[in-house]
Amino acid sequence: MPTGLDQLKHIVVLMMENRSFDHMLGSLTAVNPAIDGITNDLSNPDTTGTQIKPQALAEFQSQLDPDPDHHFPAVDLQIFGGDTSAGRQPNMQGFVKSYFNQQHDVKHSQKIMYYFAKEKLPVLTTLALEFAVFNRWFASIPGPTICNRAFAHYGTSFGRVDLNPLYINEPFKSIYNRLISAVPKRTAKVYYYDTTSSTMEVANLLQNQPELFGTFDQFVKDCKKGDLPDYSFIEPNYSDHETDAGEEIASDQHPDHNVQAGELFIATVYQRIKDNPELWGNTALLVTYDEHGGIYDHVNPPACVADQFTASANATGTGAEFKFDRLGVRVPTILISPWIPQGTVVDRVFDHASIPATVTKFFLGDYSPRSPRETNADVFIEPQNGAGDPKRNLLSLTNMRNDCPDFNV
Amino acid sequence: MLIKIPRPPKSAHDPTRPATSLLKAQVDHMHEAERQLPLKYRTDIYVKALRTEADAAEYIREVTEAVHKAHENAERMRRVRERKLEIVAAAERPRRKSAAKTKGKGKGNAKLKRK
Repeated sequence: MPTGLDQLKHIVVLMMENRSFDHMLGSLTAVNPAIDGITNDLSNPDTTGTQIKPQALAEFQSQLDPDPDHHFPAVDLQIFGGDTSAGRQPNMQGFVKSYFNQQHDVKHSQKIMYYFAKEKLPVLTTLALEFAVFNRWFASIPGPTICNRAFAHYGTSFGRVDLNPLYINEPFKSIYNRLISAVPKRTAKVYYYDTTSSTMEVANLLQNQPELFGTFDQFVKDCKKGDLPDYSFIEPNYSDHETDAGEEIASDQHPDHNVQAGELFIATVYQRIKDNPELWGNTALLVTYDEHGGIYDHVNPPACVADQFTASANATGTGAEFKFDRLGVRVPTILISPWIPQGTVVDRVFDHASIPATVTKFFLGDYSPRSPRETNADVFIEPQNGAGDPKRNLLSLTNMRNDCPDFNV
Repeated sequence: MLIKIPRPPKSAHDPTRPATSLLKAQVDHMHEAERQLPLKYRTDIYVKALRTEADAAEYIREVTEAVHKAHENAERMRRVRERKLEIVAAAERPRRKSAAKTKGKGKGNAKLKRK
């Protein structure tokens, strides 16, 4: 019997900034125990040795200032708790210690354990409970934004663990270039918020402007007209700035940007798709975060297949090289479609390399060359050609839901 | 089910906030991009002096618009070049035809003369 997967024509990915799973969705364990969030037995030692428990005291702004360190050496400390031995295993015991390193203020460092009460995040928590939430979606690298976002675009960061900008003339094509150079040609777009916020995907901006780029206003128009490309990647507003239209508030949720503004943005993306009934029925929206931003999460990032690149000891800043054989910290990720059963919880392991892996497999089928990390990444939408396992199909309903929530945006 | 979302307070907007490491990285990326543009599209902004989100945002906007403009102009030039080639090709076709006619008539044709 045909399922929602057979209706699917568009995949949309919205990537937010720098929040961990426990920080944003940890409160949901109390509502649905299948969601792997905050429980009473979790803690992290501060620098006095006191065990600090997670508390539902997270605020929208002005709490995580300075921005928690999430460069490679800091994340290494957060994951391994300061253990540098050869056979070390992740223990997620270094978050408070890591934040202490920035201000040397014991009380302030404990705030890294704070998470949001469910009521404070009505958009993200509603979407997580209504559609499919991923218990094991990790950042691709235990490091900062750009290299993690690169995994979403290219399936690799080409050996980089830092904020190094440009990925030009590299051996693997971006997902966008794969789609637009396919025969028959496919369509793809990166929608950045506006020209003042612009994009973090500068290499493609240089090479493929204007075919691959549009603004968020364009996204809204494309939704209304039903003109979305096969694949869309949406970037939030990265800065507080002024335009001719007035004040624009950052909506990326990167500390210390206002989290409510990000909630509003997520709801707007969702609602603009939902407002067009035809589009709503044939689109899947994935909401995810590039990395955890140095904020506490309790799940150990698993080892993974090594990439074909290696970051030198000098580049990692830890004194040891990195073969891209371990994932980063867990991030909130939700797959949204009216064909997903309410309350779906996914326990399979994913990272951002799963994004190009899924989009490639769905729209193009077999494709090479791709990075080892991408080739081995799991897909969150099964291919339409019948090769997929029906048990893994998240868009499994045979009748479209008509009970999905609306937001007042 | 309609869910009401609270709006952030007006005070949440602060363009004078120091630029985050991410914004600084984006500025670096844009600077790298700017250096790859022809001179006439480059800004005269000294990126090391950018401090606040508003500073960074303004620079990012200028470079993004410059990239747009460079692409638009390159596309326009490409179209002009293609049009010129079409005109040349169209002009060359009848000329060859008349040359053939001339050959047929035997006027000034080297091969015919040699015969």
